[in-house]
Amino acid sequence: MTLHGFIFYVLAAVTVAATVVAITRRNLVHAVVYLIFSYFGTAMLFYLFGAPLLAALEVIIYAGAIMVLFLFVVMMIKVEASEEVLFPRSQWLPAAIFGLIYAVVGCLMIAAAPGAEMSLKLLSATPREFALYVFQSHWFSVEVVSLLLLIALVAALYLGKGQGKEKSKAEGEV
Amino acid sequence: MTIFSGEYATLPVVTTATMLPFVAFLLIILLTRSRPRLSAALSVGAIAVSLGCALFLLGLHRHLEKPIQYTGRWLASSEVQIPFGFLIDPLSLLMLVIVAGICLLVQVYSLGYMEGDPGFSRYYAFMSLFAWAMLSLTVSPTILQLYIFWELVGLSSYLLIGFWYEKFSATQAGKKAFVMTRAGDVAFFLGLLLVLLHMGNLSILEMNGPQAAARMSPAVLTLSALLIFGGIAGKSAQFPLMTWLPDAMEGPTPVSALLHSATMVAAGVYLFARLFPFFSLSPTAMNVFLAIGTISMLLASTMAMVSNDIKKVWAFSTISQLGFMIMGLAAGGYFAGVFHLTTHAGFKALLFLCSGVFIHQYQTNDIFELGWLGARRLKAPVVAIIVAAAALSGIPPLSGYFSKEAILAGLAGLSNPVWLSAGLVGVFLTAYYSFRVIFVICLPQTHATASEGSSHASGLNHEDGRHERQYRTMARPLIVLATITVVLGFFEGPLKDFLIGRPIAAEPSGGGHLAWAQYGALALAVFGAWWAWMEFGRPGAGLVGFVERMPPLYNLFAQRWYIDHFYRLFVDRIIDRGISALCFQNDNKVIDGGIDEMSRGTVESGRVIALLHTGAIQHRLIVTFAVIVFLSLYFFF
Amino acid sequence: MIVPFGHVLMLAGVLFSLGMFCALARRNLIMIVLGIEIMLNAASIIFVSAALHWESLEGQAFVLFILAVAATEVSVGLAIIIYAFRRTGSFDPSTYNLLK
Repeated sequence: MTLHGFIFYVLAAVTVAATVVAITRRNLVHAVVYLIFSYFGTAMLFYLFGAPLLAALEVIIYAGAIMVLFLFVVMMIKVEASEEVLFPRSQWLPAAIFGLIYAVVGCLMIAAAPGAEMSLKLLSATPREFALYVFQSHWFSVEVVSLLLLIALVAALYLGKGQGKEKSKAEGEV
Repeated sequence: MTIFSGEYATLPVVTTATMLPFVAFLLIILLTRSRPRLSAALSVGAIAVSLGCALFLLGLHRHLEKPIQYTGRWLASSEVQIPFGFLIDPLSLLMLVIVAGICLLVQVYSLGYMEGDPGFSRYYAFMSLFAWAMLSLTVSPTILQLYIFWELVGLSSYLLIGFWYEKFSATQAGKKAFVMTRAGDVAFFLGLLLVLLHMGNLSILEMNGPQAAARMSPAVLTLSALLIFGGIAGKSAQFPLMTWLPDAMEGPTPVSALLHSATMVAAGVYLFARLFPFFSLSPTAMNVFLAIGTISMLLASTMAMVSNDIKKVWAFSTISQLGFMIMGLAAGGYFAGVFHLTTHAGFKALLFLCSGVFIHQYQTNDIFELGWLGARRLKAPVVAIIVAAAALSGIPPLSGYFSKEAILAGLAGLSNPVWLSAGLVGVFLTAYYSFRVIFVICLPQTHATASEGSSHASGLNHEDGRHERQYRTMARPLIVLATITVVLGFFEGPLKDFLIGRPIAAEPSGGGHLAWAQYGALALAVFGAWWAWMEFGRPGAGLVGFVERMPPLYNLFAQRWYIDHFYRLFVDRIIDRGISALCFQNDNKVIDGGIDEMSRGTVESGRVIALLHTGAIQHRLIVTFAVIVFLSLYFFF
Repeated sequence: MIVPFGHVLMLAGVLFSLGMFCALARRNLIMIVLGIEIMLNAASIIFVSAALHWESLEGQAFVLFILAVAATEVSVGLAIIIYAFRRTGSFDPSTYNLLK
């Protein structure tokens, strides 16, 4: 086992452990924080697999923006732990079954895939090369993604604002 | 028309002979129901023409060498060809004359017997129907056509037995007759199908020819012979299907004379004679037939010994004589059986017609009452009945003597002496019971008050003129039949030449027993008559038969050997409560229940599936992921 | 030589099934969205390692877009959740069953 292999296994273990803990927390804030740990692990994995820019982006966007957004929502709405039973049996049993089936099928498929035994090489893509590639080959997708972000902005504004309008209207009438 | 040889007149004549009664039937049923005299005239006229045609054909073809067959295309399906048509050979010609003759005599007799009956036209319509069916049966070229007319004969029997349908016992008797013969006909049809399967067609000539032995294995031959004999046993009232015939006496006496003594029940024996070469191919079957004939003959004779109803005595006697005929045929005596059929038709019809005169006159069936009421005063019936009873017992020189001798000669030729012994016992019993009736009626013991009897008789003659005319109408056929009975025996030689111009099957080789059997039979007949005289005829006799002195034996015979009881039990326990109850349960629980369960299951499974419609997001998500997993499975494998 | 490709795939598979479990078995709308995020993350890992396996930058480009789309969908999703909470007052997905 090489050094990089060892690093991979450690990171994998951390990620999985953090995810497992995250999904079994009753307190939502705890769940989000554990998930941030999971994303850190993922970012390190990205760096190991030769995508340093993506690793940075993962931390910035995913862990830094999205999870923080979650935290804002949770704290704003004051979501209480409303579930009495964390995992009602009628729900986790089918989910576990399908998870198991999926895991088994997945392992079988991986074992039968032709290139699965090959070890990954140690390469790295510098940000410069990566950016050149994206903007040369996939510039159209970039434009579309920006449009998508615009749409999300409008939607969030509308959904959030609509409440305010109704509230003021009701107050106005009374 | 295919095969065609002989004079051009044969086909139209035979068509007329068979179809004219059918035309009469249609006319009577459709048009002349309200005019009895016209209906009777139509029916009698039709049968008279048929008789004329039959006699003409008999004269025309008296030297017939090969059978003539006229056929038209009917059922044709690749290799199976079943035509319809006519078959003329000595046997069918003889039977035509017998049937047409007896039909005519009985219909003339019925003019007097059934006069004044509200169903007069209906009666003659059914008589014509029967005549058509029976005549067509005798000239059928294929077994299938014969079967069709066989069933039609059974139908007319049912209609005529239950003629007085207001009487419950009459309808019951008609139903019993039909169902019992039908049971035999099922076996007949199975045998017919077996022959069809193996031979490819049902032509009688082919069945009697060498093709039958060539195409059918011995086991199949025996089986089909036994099955066809089932139909014969049903129609000719042999053991075990014999109990319908005594009950069939519920019908009018002319009907009993025509159908249930001379012609319809003889159809079974006729079929035996028809297929005689075919049956002879299977010695096992012939032995079985011999046994059944013997059993029927003995059983029926014992039942006749203790019966007090005049018609029932002659009914049992018919069963017994038919058994005798079958014994004769099964022993290999083709001519003997057919000759006895001919003579029996004559004297048995005569017996019934005489009894009919007595019944019509004195309104009672009981022989003892008839004796006390002075039945012996009617001259013509008394003479005729004595002649007929003597013929039945086999007293020379009457016809019955010659035909019985022929059969006993055939039985003597067999290796096993038990059949001959049974035949001789039968001769004794026949003489005993027939003369018992004669003596009781003609020489009544006067310990019943004679004055009562005479007052009874005089009280009935208040319609003198009409009675006289009816009596004369009824008496004429009696005289004709009595004459025939007396002279027919002397025609044995010419008849034998006519029937067996060419060799048909094994003739019995008369051994040394022949002469011995002849004298023995005569002695036994006389002995039986003398015994009956001792018990019933001589003055001061006890009027108690030797059987009646043994109560258990008497009960056995009087209850008809408990065969009826057995059938009732069988139908009740096994068929009604057993098989049909099972079928009913199967229908309810299995078939209906299955369908109900199917529909209930559909509804229930619908309910179960409806539980999936919860509307919850996560359930739908589960379904989504499940589908993805299965798709991945599909693409993987 | 880091590690066989199959091992990475298995890691990603485990993470994916964990995310699926979270989305199906938690009775909280926000946790459902969290589960979706975990699943997207697992997909990203596969893309990056596949890019390394086939030595093509296409995989990494796609991860960029996944990131962007994830952000979009989280924001809109959370906005909808808040809206729905204001309408019905409950975060339990089983109360949203009007479409049964």
